[in-house]
Amino acid sequence: MKYAYYPGCSLHGPAKGYDLSVKAVCKNLDIELWEVPDWTCCGASSAHSFGHLLGLAIPAQTLVPAEQEGLDIVAPCAACWQRLVWVNHEVTTNAKTRDEINQAIGAELTGSSKVLSIMEAVASAGMEKIAQATKKPLKGLKIAAYYGCYYVKPPKVAHVDDPESPKLIDDIMAAVGAEPVDWPYKTECCGASLGFVEFDTTLAMSAKVLDYAIKSGADMIVTACPLCQQNLDMQQSTINKKFGTNHKIPVTYFTQLMAYAFGMSDKEAAMHKNFTSYQSALAKLG
Amino acid sequence: MSTTVNLSQMQKDHGDFIERVRKLSGQDVRKCYQCGKCSAGCAVHNCQGMDVSPNRVMRMVQLGMEEEVLKSKTIWVCVLCSTCTTRCPRDIDIARVMDALRILSKKNNTFVNAKNANTFHETFMNSIIKYGRVYEAGLAVTLTLKYGYGFNLIGIGPAALAKGTLPFFPPKLKNPEQIKKIVENVEKIERMEGEK
Ligand code: SF4
Ligand code: SF4
Repeated sequence: MKYAYYPGCSLHGPAKGYDLSVKAVCKNLDIELWEVPDWTCCGASSAHSFGHLLGLAIPAQTLVPAEQEGLDIVAPCAACWQRLVWVNHEVTTNAKTRDEINQAIGAELTGSSKVLSIMEAVASAGMEKIAQATKKPLKGLKIAAYYGCYYVKPPKVAHVDDPESPKLIDDIMAAVGAEPVDWPYKTECCGASLGFVEFDTTLAMSAKVLDYAIKSGADMIVTACPLCQQNLDMQQSTINKKFGTNHKIPVTYFTQLMAYAFGMSDKEAAMHKNFTSYQSALAKLG
Repeated sequence: MSTTVNLSQMQKDHGDFIERVRKLSGQDVRKCYQCGKCSAGCAVHNCQGMDVSPNRVMRMVQLGMEEEVLKSKTIWVCVLCSTCTTRCPRDIDIARVMDALRILSKKNNTFVNAKNANTFHETFMNSIIKYGRVYEAGLAVTLTLKYGYGFNLIGIGPAALAKGTLPFFPPKLKNPEQIKKIVENVEKIERMEGEK
């Protein structure tokens, strides 16, 4: 299996651990990733608020090399993924917008490359293969799979899974031996994109997500969105100060846990790049 | 919104507002029957982050309350999570309506209640136009200077630098001008559209 790979800005910056673990997991599952050469920012979450066409044309450019190579494309960042999915949606359903996009980027996009989320790409290897690659099953580790909003809403465009009750990450985590908990905040927004705009609201929104994950008995929150991960992880101490809580729940990328289950050390899976201490949760595994 | 408004005058003066919103968003706000589901499930609204609830925004668009709605904080603090869109029984993409209202509010320079939002989006765009990718450390410094030092970013920066996850130097692309070129092309296309 071979996919075009669009890491996006955050995987080359604060979400380096995500990039490393995605690559490691794909290697273990014989999924080849071909990085789009000289890729540019997808423009999320600003460009579309300057104009509809601008918000489409900026990410559209990334799809050109993928179409030329005849490859489907994987974007592990939820925000990038959704921008690319929007482009394909417009290109395949709206001829006028397609022509304008093509004029803006000087190319001939047709929508032939499917835009896959990293969950779908990983799952395309098959749950059996994932289970076989698992050397250290995560037995007894209770995880809250957190999807956030971008992957599942609006479902007409962004549809990795059910918008209210998705289970793809739960299934992948179960395949590596972890125990997904049932919880109500799987697709609630954590407010990360308001961090630079209205920080107090971000904290209030994230506090709810953390609260429910902990109340549901999870040892760890597992996500596939760099905005969610950074926000819930890095802001936890600020949230504790503000709301007088004492939350200490690690927030990891699902690929980090997979890499760990496939036999890598916590450091190799770049878990030490995360902020909240994860050692006690992993210690449960013995 | 405690002041009295003259609705018939409002609709006379801004009767085409709902039509302009439809053009920009592709959504017909007339269809909204005010069930309130959008507001009930809105995470930002539920954290008291908005000054006008999403269903009221829709009503204000119906009534042609252009000035009021474009000045609202709501349209800028909406995170475009599309929870409302997913659940609307009238199949209205409310998030896209919010985004269209932002575009109109930028055009009219009416973001009085959301200065930070405007500063953030402009700084972000300038950064990617210049480098082709986001330069986080540079963005954090610029924003901190623009927002003033009370802003929280100061707290994040050093911690992230210590983890080695925030690159200190700007990204280097073979062709950093790609986004700049697209922005120029889009401006050209939109100018031509406007002249039609
Ligand atoms: S959910 Fe739809 S119909 Fe109901 S109030 Fe909101 S926009 Fe109107
Ligand atoms: S898209 Fe905006 S209005 Fe709709 S639920 Fe999300 S934050 Fe609320």
